[in-house]
Amino acid sequence: MIESNGRRVRLVPDLRQMLGPVLGLVLVIVIFGIIAPQSFLSVYNFKVVAAQSVIVGLGAIGMTFVITSGGIDLSVGSVIALASVLTALMMQQFDSPVVAIALGVGIGAVCGAVNGLVITGLRIVPFIATLGMFGIARGIAKYLAGEQKIDAPAGWIPELMAKEPSASWILVAPGVWITIVLGILMAILLNRTTFGTNTFAIGSNESTARLCGIQVRRTKILIYMLCGIFAGLAGVMQFGRLTVGDPTTALGKELDIIAAVVIGGASLAGGEGRISGALVGAVLMAFLANGCTHAGVPNYVQEIIIGIIIIAAVALDSYRHSGSR
Amino acid sequence: MRIPAVLVAVITTILFAGCEHREGGHTTNPVVAVIPKGTSHEFWKTVHAGANEAGSKNDLEIIWKGPAREDDRDEQIKVVETFVARGVDAIVIAPLDDTALVPSLKEASGRGIPVIVFDSDIKWDGKTTFVATDNTRGGELAAREVGRLLDGKGRILVMRYVEGSASTMKREKGFLDTIASEYPGIEVVSSNQHGGATVEGCYKTAENLLAKYPDVDAVFGPCEPATFGLMKAIDDIDKEGTILLVGFDASDKLVEGLRDGKIAALVVQNPFAMGDLAVTAARSTIDGDDVPEFMDTGCTLITLENMDEPGNKELLNPPLDKWLNTK
Repeated sequence: MIESNGRRVRLVPDLRQMLGPVLGLVLVIVIFGIIAPQSFLSVYNFKVVAAQSVIVGLGAIGMTFVITSGGIDLSVGSVIALASVLTALMMQQFDSPVVAIALGVGIGAVCGAVNGLVITGLRIVPFIATLGMFGIARGIAKYLAGEQKIDAPAGWIPELMAKEPSASWILVAPGVWITIVLGILMAILLNRTTFGTNTFAIGSNESTARLCGIQVRRTKILIYMLCGIFAGLAGVMQFGRLTVGDPTTALGKELDIIAAVVIGGASLAGGEGRISGALVGAVLMAFLANGCTHAGVPNYVQEIIIGIIIIAAVALDSYRHSGSR
Repeated sequence: MRIPAVLVAVITTILFAGCEHREGGHTTNPVVAVIPKGTSHEFWKTVHAGANEAGSKNDLEIIWKGPAREDDRDEQIKVVETFVARGVDAIVIAPLDDTALVPSLKEASGRGIPVIVFDSDIKWDGKTTFVATDNTRGGELAAREVGRLLDGKGRILVMRYVEGSASTMKREKGFLDTIASEYPGIEVVSSNQHGGATVEGCYKTAENLLAKYPDVDAVFGPCEPATFGLMKAIDDIDKEGTILLVGFDASDKLVEGLRDGKIAALVVQNPFAMGDLAVTAARSTIDGDDVPEFMDTGCTLITLENMDEPGNKELLNPPLDKWLNTK
């Protein structure tokens, strides 16, 4: 926000900036529409991809705040697993989806808050602090689950992730709508509130932000807590998808989430991030995986393509920056 | 400004997708998706070979796709969902989890795609058939070999694998029940120790067991790591050939042990037949023929004497090259 091109604070995303990810998404769909069997373009397949994007999408919303503030959170995959295990345990204990969801999201908030406290209190860089939580949350998940998956009554939680929801007029899984609505709310939070402005400011230049009177410490703790809340919610959705609590789930998911945020136009240097872009990034990656399976292309090709897209997106982003200065 | 980034991505996509021989091309043959638990283990490669053979025999197009890790439930669900969206003619799957895969397979069957389950069972009765090793029978086979080798008298022990692993528990039960009912002269001195899921754990437990019972006449290991751990532990105390080892499954090391006389016999499953039978069942289902609820792919007892016989040689070294190099 301190750059010369003026206000970065806006609700409607800059069309020019959104062009990259959206065009990429459209092209992926078009290409696979040509090389994959017709079923790729079916309504049902779009519903499948929408549901498959939810977990990475939710994680990406929270991660956008962290990356915009110049940080990183490597613990998200482990927190997703911990939240899915806790949700399963609570369903076993109380058989109440509301309680289970609240505690699943709650444990995410706790993990995030601990991340924030460790980063600000112990002055440990986010990479290391969250790498610590990466191990801690995964370990606790395995301990709680007795190193096994947990079979629990799932209640109506799987309905959140049902590709063909029982109320057919809502078209896609309720989890997809939850993600979209939360995405819009969080975009407002990031772009239209003091908290969001402070997030950008800390990411652009932390010492300047401090000199300007921003409470950097408190804002950072809230940012990591927010990221943890979204990881917790993603964990609840993961439980809904699996119908079992799995302590080994979502291994490496944080990297998919970071990739979605970066493809969406965020800068790991901080000071830049778009929730709309991150969600498009999540959908783009889900479509790539889905298209590769449709076309019978092996997994490794898809991994190589995603790798290239990440590098290309970031390389062009830094090229654009150097050009504008 | 971002357009070049997108172009790069597009070009690579086309390049990769274009170079790759696509298994799901445009032919009129029915398409069968075969989904293993993982793709790296030897066992699944052999299943793949068997599936490919059945595919070419039955005019089916086989698409092989599974998760890379054998505990990645979410990835396997994604694969199923995508094949359902693609509209394949049948799904043949070894489910990673007896519960987590149920909703997506239900959906497949709800959309008219028959589901053939192999290797591991699932808590759902909508499957067309279940193709697997009859593990109880495998345990019985091992027990009779022990009984024969010991002439019905002696002291033996069983080192179990992991708590809660259905297939090995069936083998252990089949073994112990047969010993109890058919060989009253054989005493089981220990059958409550579990080796655990790692080779290291199995080895350690085997060492401890043999330290406590150094004078047993025979031991039974219900799977590959348990057998390997027992083999090493027996080797360490120089009792190879004195303590007779009957094991389960084959690997290069175990086959070598069999040849060197460290192992008396191995009960071997038939993953090639598993792939073959499961895909053949898919063909029958597509054609509207009835298939039995359960199909046993059989176990074979391999000893030093019969290990080089033609059929058994193929079991120990399946013809992978012939069926996996079709590209």
